[in-house]
Amino acid sequence: MLKKRIIPKFLLRDGRLVKYRQFFDDERRAGNPVSTAKVYNDYGADEFIVLDIVPSEESKAKVRDIVKTMSEEIFMPFTVGGGVTSLDDVNGLLRAGADKVSVNSYAVRNPSFVAEAARAFGDQCMAVSIDYKEVSPGVPRVFIDGGREKTSHNPVDWALRTQDSNCGEILLTSIDRDGMMSGYDVDMIAQLDEQLDVPLVVSGGCGGLQHCIDAFASGASAVAISSLFLFTDHSPIKLRSHLVSNGINVRASKTSRN
Amino acid sequence: MTSIAIIDYGRGNVRSVFNALDYIGVTATVTDDPAVIDNASHILLPGVGAFGDAVDALKARGLPEVLHRQAFDKGKPFLGVCVGMQVLASKSYEHGEHAGLGWLDAEVRRIDPGPDGLKVPHMGWNSVTPTRAHPLFDGIKTETLVFYFVHSFAVTTEDADKVLATSDYGKPFTATLAWDNIVTTQFHPEKSQDSGLEVLTNFTRWNP
Repeated sequence: MLKKRIIPKFLLRDGRLVKYRQFFDDERRAGNPVSTAKVYNDYGADEFIVLDIVPSEESKAKVRDIVKTMSEEIFMPFTVGGGVTSLDDVNGLLRAGADKVSVNSYAVRNPSFVAEAARAFGDQCMAVSIDYKEVSPGVPRVFIDGGREKTSHNPVDWALRTQDSNCGEILLTSIDRDGMMSGYDVDMIAQLDEQLDVPLVVSGGCGGLQHCIDAFASGASAVAISSLFLFTDHSPIKLRSHLVSNGINVRASKTSRN
Repeated sequence: MTSIAIIDYGRGNVRSVFNALDYIGVTATVTDDPAVIDNASHILLPGVGAFGDAVDALKARGLPEVLHRQAFDKGKPFLGVCVGMQVLASKSYEHGEHAGLGWLDAEVRRIDPGPDGLKVPHMGWNSVTPTRAHPLFDGIKTETLVFYFVHSFAVTTEDADKVLATSDYGKPFTATLAWDNIVTTQFHPEKSQDSGLEVLTNFTRWNP
């Protein structure tokens, strides 16, 4: 059967790895993305997500270079996003070595874009990234521009609408939980998974091994992880063996030779 | 000497296939030039995107005849990956009905989510079960026959002898075809870490 996926998520600012809490607080520099990716590759991560969080034309060119370098030595799928606003942007990332391109703000501003890109490059290439935050108790809203601008969309409704644009996957991020390491938003995951036909990658809040088990139990296809790997002694290897011993269907090991 | 022609029909991420072959030390060229393809020892047809679009792109470059000559007249080892596997079928139902290259009697149909409401695309790592021994899987431990898939359509064929391996998503589907000098994988060896590199290495050493 299809395995659950472990996906290190890299946030880039001007080509360097960074990490915040709730998108803006407490910036921590986390090093060189290429060398970090190589380490996680050796540890047998299942995929990578690379997001340019403050995109400009200059930073987008840097991200393409970084992805190109990574894909020369790392042979697993890459999802790359940040500031994607044209078919040329999508094509540029795919040609650099990305397998999936993530679109966030522009999908909200131009609702026909994802369908257009899916037609041009294939449904499986397009991942829609959705950031959300509670604006009052029990009222979650989608935010765009790296969490700076609030929209009127409810994240579940928005996810179901974007699925109809033929995206291949949804990356759901809780801004409230980002960097807090207190656990994923399992209620939201369960609610969305119930209705979603495409795979759901969840992000925001992972601070321990049990959090991943909880996310998978709620229906997530994959867990995206930053803080746990960057700032604790946990690694994809340790997480994988913990998941295996708890009966979660993940790849057991990446070594292949007899 | 082994030299691989990676067929470029202007679609998708062919760079990854090149990078993977380069990494294992094999000479490869990304090309749509019939003369270069003629000189290669092995042919690799990669694929990303939609079936009809891929077939049209191959035809626009006159590639179906070139590829047929390599595989059938010259008998070169041929590997089709993902959509590069699917286009060899006779017919696909992706976004309407499209004729394929018809190298085998097979159809490409949308994955059925079934009663469990499986997510489509089938995206991620899945284990693969060979139906028989084949050089493509030589030396790879059974428990690491796990590869990366990303597809919404799958190949079904009545020609059971050509199915080399299946994978399971709600029910078994065709993961690999193999007959004569032709092999195909629905999964992406170039994205399947060590196991995928082993498959590519085995292909480049294959001398059917």
